[in-house]
Amino acid sequence: MGNYCVPQQMKVERIGIEDPARTLRTYDLSFVNDSDRDAFKYLPGQFCELSIPGKGESPFGIASSPTEEGFLRFTVNRTGSVTNEIHYLRNGDTIGLRGPLGNWYPVEDLKGMNVLIVGGGFAFTTLRSLLIYLMDSRDDHKDITVIYGARNPDLFIYKDEIALWKQRSDIQMHLTIDKPVDGWDKKTGFVPAVVKEVAPSPENTMAIVCGPPVMIKYTLPVLTQLGFSDERIYTSLERRMKCGIGKCGRCNIGSKYICIDGPVFSMAELKNIPETV
Amino acid sequence: MNMVRLDKKKFGDFILELSVEHAVYAPGNTGGKTDFIPVSSEDEINLKTLVTDLSPKGIFFPHSEVLYEYDTEGIRVPEKEAGKPIAVWGMRGCDSRSLLMLNKVFGSAIQMPDNKNFQDPYWKEKYDSSVIFGSACNMPQSTCFCNWFGDGPHSREGMDVFVVDAGDHYLMEPVSDKGSNILGKLTCLTDSLEGDAEAALKLASEAESTMVPPMDVNGLGELLNDLYDEPVWEDISAKCINCGACTFSCPTCHCYDIQDEGKGSSGKRIRIWDSCMFPIFTMEASGHNPRALSSQRVRQRVMHKYSYFLEKYGDFLCTGCGRCITVCPVNLDIREVLKTINVYNRQGITNG
Amino acid sequence: MNTTNELRKSIKALIAEKKVDLFLAWEKGSLPLTATPLFVSTEDQADRAVFDVTCGNNLSIYFTKDRKQFANRKVGIAVKGCDARSVVLNILEKQIQRENVVIVGVPCDGVLDRKKVLAKTDGREVLELIDNGETVTVKGNGFDLLLNRNEILSSSCLACTYPDAQEYDVFIGDARGEVPNESRLKEIHDFQALSASERWDKTRNEYERCIRCYACRNVCPSCYCNVCFVDQNDPKWIGSTCDYTDTLIFHVIRNLHVAGRCVECGACQRACPMDIDLLMLNRKVAMEVKDRFGDIAGLDINGKPAMSDFREDEKQKFIMG
Repeated sequence: MGNYCVPQQMKVERIGIEDPARTLRTYDLSFVNDSDRDAFKYLPGQFCELSIPGKGESPFGIASSPTEEGFLRFTVNRTGSVTNEIHYLRNGDTIGLRGPLGNWYPVEDLKGMNVLIVGGGFAFTTLRSLLIYLMDSRDDHKDITVIYGARNPDLFIYKDEIALWKQRSDIQMHLTIDKPVDGWDKKTGFVPAVVKEVAPSPENTMAIVCGPPVMIKYTLPVLTQLGFSDERIYTSLERRMKCGIGKCGRCNIGSKYICIDGPVFSMAELKNIPETV
Repeated sequence: MNMVRLDKKKFGDFILELSVEHAVYAPGNTGGKTDFIPVSSEDEINLKTLVTDLSPKGIFFPHSEVLYEYDTEGIRVPEKEAGKPIAVWGMRGCDSRSLLMLNKVFGSAIQMPDNKNFQDPYWKEKYDSSVIFGSACNMPQSTCFCNWFGDGPHSREGMDVFVVDAGDHYLMEPVSDKGSNILGKLTCLTDSLEGDAEAALKLASEAESTMVPPMDVNGLGELLNDLYDEPVWEDISAKCINCGACTFSCPTCHCYDIQDEGKGSSGKRIRIWDSCMFPIFTMEASGHNPRALSSQRVRQRVMHKYSYFLEKYGDFLCTGCGRCITVCPVNLDIREVLKTINVYNRQGITNG
Repeated sequence: MNTTNELRKSIKALIAEKKVDLFLAWEKGSLPLTATPLFVSTEDQADRAVFDVTCGNNLSIYFTKDRKQFANRKVGIAVKGCDARSVVLNILEKQIQRENVVIVGVPCDGVLDRKKVLAKTDGREVLELIDNGETVTVKGNGFDLLLNRNEILSSSCLACTYPDAQEYDVFIGDARGEVPNESRLKEIHDFQALSASERWDKTRNEYERCIRCYACRNVCPSCYCNVCFVDQNDPKWIGSTCDYTDTLIFHVIRNLHVAGRCVECGACQRACPMDIDLLMLNRKVAMEVKDRFGDIAGLDINGKPAMSDFREDEKQKFIMG
């Protein structure tokens, strides 16, 4: 990509609705230009800026895995003017995309390791990317444990896939909701408590955490308490990123710009950065 | 190439000659304020102005700049105008230095995570071809504190040609190859005379002697990092009203917003100056604001200038031009802030 | 009588008697021509307080900063006539409670507009100002200027009729009383007498200088919306550029939003780094509010802001056609 300020054109191929309130929708996008497609190389954890002409741009983590060919997937929560407009899109419509931006989860370092994935709410997007990526080279990794929490059962994203993952014997899936609800037979309670309860031994294990700020804030100390070293904990931070290329200053924390130095940081790195969580 | 002279009587010719191949910017008056404006003749230039009210950053990084235009046909980056390269007259050392800092952000190749290097094309097309006629500052103001950070009022940093106002004539000395080239081409210049160099040095030392001795800024970055969680920020920021007068008048503040302006199927995407003083700067769509308090935002501005930028790019993001001091509606003086921090360190941290 | 000394005594007494936890006053600024807000919480700090011609800041802005940072604290505040009206307006609009505020009125002969002084010095820096009463002397490097007080007073002060706080707990010195000011509305009438295109040109000339720093909004005690309309993006009401079509809309909507709430303190105009004449339209709107609804913002603690009130007998031609 020559000019990182100018978006490339994408076409909406498939729209999925994730929750009964229809505020969470998943979009599979394809490249309008083959040259853009061929140049687009990414890894789990990276993000893109999606844009609607006249409305603006917002950053979204890539939910598809580079091992899934032919589309890029994004899940969009309807909260503001851009996401509102994205929700009006139909199949075949076009949307602008800048990316891939930011760094990625340490996929190389996960080889030969146990992996603990901790996610919350609709921030599970890049964790889905990671999970698919790991499963597509399953033999390279040891045990995979997933802890995924949402406020209520409706707010899990990728429910169909979760059902499939649950059936697999090579992934330990733990779902939890904040408060008990009739008909819910899985865990109840906040993510940090569930992590404490079911997290695997820190021995030879990497923890990858992504979720709302409050979840990250209370989960990281639990992992430390369980014996995970700072180098073995990774998290993805969110800020109001705009330019995505380390200039506009919005996502500046300490001497870092989340959009180019992150969004993925190890706990060891976070300790040297102010105002992270 | 050596120092040359420009007789002030020939200043008009000089501007005309410079204008042949350059779009010339110089300090001028706009609605009672001074700013760097496009000029085509001597008459439009304000040669008396002190530090201009607005900084020259707008020449290269305008308040609103079109990134691209779109319509039903697609997206177009505005063609580089068949315009001439920019020449700026009359930039004091504090201002020319600021361009070096902005160039670190916009001009230098930033390595993207995918290993591609990215330079900002909008900045580069203007800045790289520009030629800066700097101006030795013979009369620092009471708000000036360039001697805290740089080479003082006769600094040449960021200039292509160093210009000294020596009474009835200007003395010019090339600082860069670009500067040598242009001085070689201009015909209205004459050789310097014996004693000119000494005269310039004398003016420099006179200018320096009028300035208040600087605060020692060695270790300021680390000091700020140590004070990050201290309550001193609440005192410092108490009177700040969180407007953007300081950041918008600052020659080095460069944070921006990106907005689409359009109607129906056509429009443009622009980038616009933004300010870390505004609460919405960091407000997220969810309503969560990591810097909801005034004290957090003031701290961010100070930390970014005197710690974060230093750590990332090896320089303070401040040239001591004093504009933020002059424009602040509540007289929150950045020099006082830094002094407070210095003193607080001694009293607050070491004792407590 | 020395106002500054009396003010200090007053603040000390209020703090000593624990009638306030905090007192908002002014102290000498770091620049010549400038005072700066002072937050006093100990008797010692009170000795830094001053009141003179440089004390233009309307301190009541701090009541609404950071969403009521002083909630549940007893706060004292030094006020000029216009500032007192802002305090009253804040009380009427339920931003602060009367019983939590101790209002100390100071006798005001007008405050200076620094930019007017600098306009007189031909670009030279002013290093000192001496207030001689009817005149002021400004001094700089190699020059000395004697200026008539009226030349350098804030435009708001030249048009002022209520220099004294109308609502106060303590008043220092002698009140000036209501000032007959016949030329008060001249500027507005002159503007109204212009043709539509002349008015447009004049307005455009002013507002096209705006750099959108929002200093005017942020120093305005009546501007305290949680999210200002210019900052809203869903819907986005106006564009963000410096084009006058955008800046004009910002200023005009702000004018209307402070209709019946603007106390004409002039803080916006003094704060503007671009020297925009912001007062003219604000004062024009205030004049309209007075003509139509008989209300002067913040003058009467028992009143109601014009736009929050309805009376059957008020002019309503604009509704009925």
